[in-house]
Amino acid sequence: MFFLQYVIRRTFQNMMGNLFPNFITISIIVISMLIFSTFTLIAFNLTNLLKIWEDKIEIIAYLKQGTSSREVEPLLNKTRLLEGVEVVRYVSPYDAMDFMATKLGRQKSLLEGIQPALLPPSFEIQLKKEYRNSTKIKEVVTLLERIPQFEEIQYGQEWVETFSVLVHILRLTQWILGGLLLIGIVFITSNTLQFTISSRREEIEVMHWVGASPGFIRVPVYAEGLLQGLFGGGLAILFLFLLHRGFFLYVPPSMQAWMEKIPVLFLPPETIAWIILGGMVLGFFGSFVASMRVLKYK
Amino acid sequence: MNETMIEMVDVSKTYPNQISALSDISLEISSGEFAFIAGPSGSGKSTLLRILSCAERPTGGEIVVCGMHLTAPGFRKLYQLRRTMGIVSQDFKLLRDRTVNQNVAFALEVTGHTRKESKLKASDMLSRVGLEEREEDPILALSAGEQQRVAIARALVHSPPLILADEPTGNLDAKMTLDIMGILTDLHQKGTTIVFATQFTGLVKRYSYRVIRILNGQILNERQADITQVPGVKPGE
Repeated sequence: MFFLQYVIRRTFQNMMGNLFPNFITISIIVISMLIFSTFTLIAFNLTNLLKIWEDKIEIIAYLKQGTSSREVEPLLNKTRLLEGVEVVRYVSPYDAMDFMATKLGRQKSLLEGIQPALLPPSFEIQLKKEYRNSTKIKEVVTLLERIPQFEEIQYGQEWVETFSVLVHILRLTQWILGGLLLIGIVFITSNTLQFTISSRREEIEVMHWVGASPGFIRVPVYAEGLLQGLFGGGLAILFLFLLHRGFFLYVPPSMQAWMEKIPVLFLPPETIAWIILGGMVLGFFGSFVASMRVLKYK
Repeated sequence: MNETMIEMVDVSKTYPNQISALSDISLEISSGEFAFIAGPSGSGKSTLLRILSCAERPTGGEIVVCGMHLTAPGFRKLYQLRRTMGIVSQDFKLLRDRTVNQNVAFALEVTGHTRKESKLKASDMLSRVGLEEREEDPILALSAGEQQRVAIARALVHSPPLILADEPTGNLDAKMTLDIMGILTDLHQKGTTIVFATQFTGLVKRYSYRVIRILNGQILNERQADITQVPGVKPGE
């Protein structure tokens, strides 16, 4: 209890006694963590978007012209039995026409004069959840391609794959940039704490002389690093939250309808906790490096 | 015979610039003994004391203090060693931003005593060195002699079994020197081992304690304590 009281008092005194270096360190941690958190937020939302699209992904298998209505039912049953297939719906040329008319809305007059028979009949195939990704979907497509009654198989693969690669690159950038920033944080924290320790050189020397244990000398330094990381990480999350809020306030009206369909979420609590914890760990690591360099017991 | 408090066997200290500060020093100081390390400036007294407190590492030899083998490979209990000793150095090593009491209490606080207990013990020790009326003064308001007394109070406040004092009366006037010597004599009579380095031969002659004279880093000769006398001041001094 006494030790805890001492650590709290000492850490507070150290931070207040070196206000400017601590302010600079925390500011740099905030900026670094804010950059990292922003990338995390963007990657999180794009991943979320990818999941939404993957959930909606379906295969459209166009039947060959001239496929008789007698063949449709056995073909439907055959398709339903394929591995990964959840629901199969037959879309007749008339259904396709109605769908297009609905999509065109007030411009449906464009369809006047077009015979429904010109549109190919198709199967809309919804996949089981575990098959809604670019690797698994290909397995189902391969099975469908073996059925001779199908003329063409479409499933928006390229679009999903391109987006998936984009998300992957973003994640990679996030971690590379994050890694560099994190090294920077350790470097900055350790240097500021060395400055703090230097300002207490006389006191530490006396502590060595009178037999203070290494823990008694070092723990307040570690606590200072932890606090710098906590404040840095916490403030970065706070600023990111304000930026996220601000983004919604200044969204142009033309984008608002689009935004309703695609939610721009804030980071989930566990990610926030990880970021703050990460800041603390880095602060601690910085203080550890500093104490190793300048707090040798003499 | 008392058990050994300090044992040095063939201890040498050579600095990287090849200057030899100590050469083959062997000595034994028993528990409860008062020993002067006497010699002129630069003779190696301070180096010897710094080696005993592990502030410097010897380049050769073996040292045992309070049963701890300081020269053993992997010796890491430096803070435990320091708790067994009170160190008074030539530069007082006082904290300039604190009061007199805070400086003395600091030695107790950092070894796990409560602030209240530390403050009380510090007050008691300061009254023993004649600074009871300066307790709340900032350290910079004190004269060099008074600062020396604070440093002594800090070294004694945790009642260590061993005191290493490097010229502790160097900045004090004659009366204060005698007062401090009185405190150390009192502690010695209660069983504290005291190693007192000084260049003042007059002070050494005044007392009947053991004297180890060193010159150029080597033991020149020794005068054993006059056990026929009551410890302390020689008769007629």
